[in-house]
Amino acid sequence: MTLFRLIPLACLTLASAAQAQTTLLNVSYDPTRELYREVNEAFAAHWAEQGHEAPGIETSHGGSGAQARSVIDGLAAQVVTLALASDIDQIATTGKLPTDWQSKLPHNSSPYTSTIVFLVRDTNPKGIADWGDLTAEGVEVITPNPKTSGGARWNYLAAWAWAEANDRDPAEFVGQLFANVPVLDTGARGATTTFAQRGIGDVLLAWENEAYLALAELGEDQFDIVVPSLSILAEPPVALVEGNIADDAQRELATAYLDYLYTPEGQALAFKHYYRAWDASAADPEDVARFPDLDLVGIDDLGGWAKLQPEHFGDGGIFDQIYVAP
Amino acid sequence: MSRAPLIQRTAMPGLGLSAGITFFMLTLVVALPIGALLWQGANFGLSNIWATINRDRVWAALWLSFRLSFLAACFNLVFGVILAWVLVRYRFPGRRIIDAAVDLPFALPTAVAGIALTALYAPNGVLGGLTDQIGWQIAYTRWGIFLALVFVGLPFVTRTVQPVIEEIETEVEEASATLGASRSHTLRHVIAPMLMPAALTGFALSLARAVGEYGSVIFIAGNIPLRTEIAPLLIVIQLEEYNYDAAGAIGLAMLAISFTMLLFINLIQIWSRKRIGHV
Repeated sequence: MTLFRLIPLACLTLASAAQAQTTLLNVSYDPTRELYREVNEAFAAHWAEQGHEAPGIETSHGGSGAQARSVIDGLAAQVVTLALASDIDQIATTGKLPTDWQSKLPHNSSPYTSTIVFLVRDTNPKGIADWGDLTAEGVEVITPNPKTSGGARWNYLAAWAWAEANDRDPAEFVGQLFANVPVLDTGARGATTTFAQRGIGDVLLAWENEAYLALAELGEDQFDIVVPSLSILAEPPVALVEGNIADDAQRELATAYLDYLYTPEGQALAFKHYYRAWDASAADPEDVARFPDLDLVGIDDLGGWAKLQPEHFGDGGIFDQIYVAP
Repeated sequence: MSRAPLIQRTAMPGLGLSAGITFFMLTLVVALPIGALLWQGANFGLSNIWATINRDRVWAALWLSFRLSFLAACFNLVFGVILAWVLVRYRFPGRRIIDAAVDLPFALPTAVAGIALTALYAPNGVLGGLTDQIGWQIAYTRWGIFLALVFVGLPFVTRTVQPVIEEIETEVEEASATLGASRSHTLRHVIAPMLMPAALTGFALSLARAVGEYGSVIFIAGNIPLRTEIAPLLIVIQLEEYNYDAAGAIGLAMLAISFTMLLFINLIQIWSRKRIGHV
């Protein structure tokens, strides 16, 4: 047989092999790699236990906005687990999922939450304790660009919320904060690298789970976590993408997958990977106890994404005005 | 004299087939994407495009991108030609390894190059630590961007000039010398004109590559608006806002400027070829 005949045949074989089992594509954001690697394994075992055929679950990771764009442009994800509700809202505008998707699952469709904390160099040489210290002269702050990183929008809004609560002019405060930023990376992982590996900056604004991960991977003797007096309740939501469901078997699998995140076992995994989950019944008590208490401001207290997104991060919005006067 | 036919018949068969394949492939991979960009721009409208581009931040990014790309291409023009000359004319141990290494910037994922350069030139890196002592910061400044652009563009000049140098017999230089020309005269009036067309092609390729470079620059640039923000990053930022029109507008501006520059380089090339006689 010639090569020309072999290639289509090989493609057909691959395609039919893939179709034999029910598959699921979960399109997620950057820092959830470790979490979903374990969730996928645990869920596959759980699903097989219930007498189903072993599912083929794949997860793709990347910047939250870029991942949302892939789904909008046709990536056939049955499940999205992104950093921001506004990214899933954007997918909803294409009709691939209902606009009230966030009410379909408990806790605003967020099986786990996180917050924004500070990672500082060992022994905290600049004495950073709270948001107010970040605008001091000579303090260098590392955060990714809120325009390109979902996580950085939470950083920015946490600073905003603190300024509002402490009777400071929030726009002026975040302006001063970003004046202290020497490098604006495009993503959360990039910012962590800049801070941890390149030695730039005195403080990194990070997802709480990223900060703990950095401590675990890079050594507790190098960095300390500083928890500010107030931060934001970051809700990375999950949703089923109706438009990409092929058949009932796939719907059943996708629904079970998302529900699994809310089971005690799923919640325990979230705790283990430094996410603040809701149900601690099956979690290791140590995993739960390591979260310090702090005031958490919800996104709805600030006005909700539908209002915040264009106002702050839209073209010419408040963030743009920090750098260029309107 | 009758007018020449539009397509000249030759004895070689297969014109129809090969032209068909060529046009089909060109349409698929070049014309359609650029057409889509133009179409996007046409729908957005000229006044909207201008309003998008005519902002301080966009001008700053365009100016930064094109200026540094031009400087990097100039640097590559000089050092790429010297490198090619050394590789062809001299025999020394390790020559083949260096020759092969010239292609590495082609093969390496640009993100890897960017991260490696940043690691070296960051203030806590091996080289960055040294320059930092004299107060010269490279990573996260324009120097870093320049360095990354030099890295990705260097092979273009070397690889286009190398075969031409191989063609130049040493007899040509010797003849020039026996006729009484000095070394520098031979270089300026014999060697340089022969290298000129190829070197300009390499320059143009290096420039074009640098203008569109994103992957490696993004890690070393610092990305601070108005200071170290390159134009391709602005496009990505607009895409992150789901603002396809504005992204397309900045893309069109870059396309227009690049096209003008490449056209200009081509004109110089035609002029220089005519000057040395074989068109």
